[in-house]
Amino acid sequence: MVAGEAVMMSGPILDAAGMKALGAALAITVTGLASAWAEKEIGTAAIGAMAENEGLFGKGLILTVIPETIVIFGLVASLLINSA
Amino acid sequence: MDKIWGKKPRKSDKKKKGTSNYAYAVTRVRAMKSKLLPKETYPRLMNMGVDEITRFIQESEYKNDIDELAMKYSGADLAEHALNRNLALTYAKLLLITAGEPNYLISEYLRRYDIWNIKTLLRGKQYNASLEEILETLISAGELTYTTLSELAAMESYEEIIEALNETDYYPLLQEEYDGTNLAYIENELDKMYYSGLFGVIGKPRSKDRKLFARFIKLEVDAKNMGTLFRLKKAGVEQLDEIMPLMIEGGLELNTEKLASLPYEEFVEALRKTRYWDAISGVMVPDMDSLTGLECRLLKFSLESATTYSHVSPISIVPIMDYIIYKNNEVNNLRIIFRGKEAGLEDELIKDQLVVI
Repeated sequence: MVAGEAVMMSGPILDAAGMKALGAALAITVTGLASAWAEKEIGTAAIGAMAENEGLFGKGLILTVIPETIVIFGLVASLLINSA
Repeated sequence: MDKIWGKKPRKSDKKKKGTSNYAYAVTRVRAMKSKLLPKETYPRLMNMGVDEITRFIQESEYKNDIDELAMKYSGADLAEHALNRNLALTYAKLLLITAGEPNYLISEYLRRYDIWNIKTLLRGKQYNASLEEILETLISAGELTYTTLSELAAMESYEEIIEALNETDYYPLLQEEYDGTNLAYIENELDKMYYSGLFGVIGKPRSKDRKLFARFIKLEVDAKNMGTLFRLKKAGVEQLDEIMPLMIEGGLELNTEKLASLPYEEFVEALRKTRYWDAISGVMVPDMDSLTGLECRLLKFSLESATTYSHVSPISIVPIMDYIIYKNNEVNNLRIIFRGKEAGLEDELIKDQLVVI
């Protein structure tokens, strides 16, 4: 009863600042996971191609880092949320 | 004999563990496919002699094989051994770079080479071929290793070979049915056993992989059945009970029972309605005297349809199967050129036998 009263008195669990922080955290987490998954697929394919033909190293590297843009967008979004 | 069997017998062979990781395997296989000889090479090879061709392929993927075998063999024999060794090693590599489902399906598919080798051994013994002649035609791409096969080839009689195979699935059939003379029957039974085993492995295909793999095998069965039917019809065999034991069950489109009962003209007419007609119509002349053209067209059709399907399902087992049959075709083409040149055949005749895409 005492704990319940304390919660009631201090207002909702998440106030506006908390929601913002959670939004920013979600933006970076989900995009981070998404680019990790995409890079894993492309990275293994690139390694496969490179194992047969070393000349594909450059192309493989570029293709592997392209999904990195996803997490960069996530980072930008989370910074914008925080600064708003 | 137990110790030379690298793997356990099939009954205890459980589904292989591991994830498929298609992205890796398929890209690697595609890179391997890009190293196959391009079609422009074949006209050039036709203008060369045996030694020149050997030197030419020595500069390609066959370098290691030719380098290692050059001490032991020469001429077309060297090429033959190098091609077989390369094929076996390439397929072994495919098994190394795949895991899980594709690995399991490929290893089952490659059992055809065990069948091929057993047939070769038995045929060799029946016709008293020399050890060297038998070794030349063995392809150790299946479960039986080259060491095992050469030990088997060195045995005196077919009974010993069959006894040495007592750990395999083929033993009951060979032991009960083979009497040293009925080789054609045994070969056919082994083929049937291979395909029924393969369909057993696929089961009722649920995963996309197995469905695609099953389709691939069914197409192959159709092509095989069609070749057999043509041969029988040409030879005037019309009896259903003579034809049906030679048919392999499980084809994609051909209704073998219906086709087997038709006379030659109606049989050709019935083929018009199938998907294979476009591929084979060019060689369907009334007085067709050789089946080589037909078989080349059918092979070309299966190679082309494998490529089409590998584009439709890029991240699946199809590109790997596509590579397997392309590689096999390349080795066959080179073997035809080598043997043709060695026997002094005319270029036109050799060209007709090649399947170049």
